[in-house]
Amino acid sequence: MANSDTPLLDELEKGKWPSFVKDMKQAAQKNPMARDLIRQLELSYKDKIGHWKHGGIVGVRGYGSGVIGRYSDRPDLFPNVQAFHTMRVNHPTGWFYKTDTLRKLCDIWDKHGSGLTNMHGSTGDAILLGTTTNHLQACFDDLSSAGFDLGGSGSALRTPSACVGPARCEWACIDSLDICYDITMTYQDQIHRPMFPYKFKIKVSACANDCVSSIARSDLSIIGTWKDDIQINPQEVLTYASRINIQKEVCDLCPTRCMEWNGRDLKIYNEDCTRCMHCINLMPKALRPGKEKGATILVGGKAPIVKGALLSWVIVPFMKLEPPYDELKSLIERIQDWWDENGKSRERLGELITRLGMRVFLKAVGLQAVPQMVKAPRTNPYVFFWPEDIKKEVK
Amino acid sequence: MSEDLKVRVTNLFREKSRGDKKMFYIRDVTKWLPNEDRHAVQNVVKELLEEEVLKYWSSGSSTYIMLAEFFPKE
Repeated sequence: MANSDTPLLDELEKGKWPSFVKDMKQAAQKNPMARDLIRQLELSYKDKIGHWKHGGIVGVRGYGSGVIGRYSDRPDLFPNVQAFHTMRVNHPTGWFYKTDTLRKLCDIWDKHGSGLTNMHGSTGDAILLGTTTNHLQACFDDLSSAGFDLGGSGSALRTPSACVGPARCEWACIDSLDICYDITMTYQDQIHRPMFPYKFKIKVSACANDCVSSIARSDLSIIGTWKDDIQINPQEVLTYASRINIQKEVCDLCPTRCMEWNGRDLKIYNEDCTRCMHCINLMPKALRPGKEKGATILVGGKAPIVKGALLSWVIVPFMKLEPPYDELKSLIERIQDWWDENGKSRERLGELITRLGMRVFLKAVGLQAVPQMVKAPRTNPYVFFWPEDIKKEVK
Repeated sequence: MSEDLKVRVTNLFREKSRGDKKMFYIRDVTKWLPNEDRHAVQNVVKELLEEEVLKYWSSGSSTYIMLAEFFPKE
């Protein structure tokens, strides 16, 4: 057997798990870009350094985002990846495709790019990996004809994303798909023409299970919840009691200890419930979310880039979300305007709130402080009031 | 008004690009004109981008704006 010219990458094909190297080698059989990509990656593994030059070209006619420029720093060795731009394609909400649509997308990418895709990137978009500068516009035109559009990149509103919501999930408290689509269509200008200090992400989860991890990954999280009492089916509770230890697995693991179980009846003190959904997840036939549904709005989540990671912070405990979502959009616009006005370059919303303070943020966007906003109520219950508010209280 | 602002923004880009630095954040541009409405400046920048007097340059995570004549050749 002939010696492989990619011995380091070959190691990643061993084992039972799927291998991206196997996929790249498959693509390399019909595409010279994929062939050079593998060889360049092997060199990166050998040199222990990336061989990409980042940045540059950003879009197609009329767009300022959706294309991420990438160039090889060794075009002498790998001429087919001299330019290897990424195209971010706005995914269908909830990632539902018909097979013929997926085939169309792949055909377009086979025609214009390396044939390699990342379905899906962490932003949610369909990521098409590797095309040349002169193919960008033609590829975009073909994508447009097939009904696709580019997503957000750079200092823009990134492509909003949502969980599958009511399409497949019985716990959905809001129509995450419709909200996400509506927001995407409303804010096309912010997605395609970057004018923000930095990236801004909106993610929608239809319940507190938060399947899109909006709380950790987005500047503005919209998470479905309910306002009234958890619905209980006592008969089903008893059925679960024969299979699981309700005291140990449900009541003792409730974060606010708002449940009592006496061996026959389950009592929930709803006023103490934080809607974490742990009990509902464990006993789905016995417990259901309440009937008065809406969403909690949180802000400030982000990954560790530039400064440390932050989790989102509740700013609206409950908002009824129904089309055309005017209350939500008005809030989004007030938040973005304040951030755009006050944020430094490359400063995310959460970092700005940390720098200037939550009370400044609340005043600017016109929200009243409420107990649910206390970030760590059981360890740090303090809220910093404005001096004039304290004087009023004293009087 | 918009035409006048457009000329001022373009001139500021030329003036600020005399040194080594050619790429600017939109935040820099709005700071150059502290007495102008931020949205008006942003709209003018969008128009100049549309007219290809200015061009976006992006690293993928951050976006910069620069005069088209300084955009790096491939």
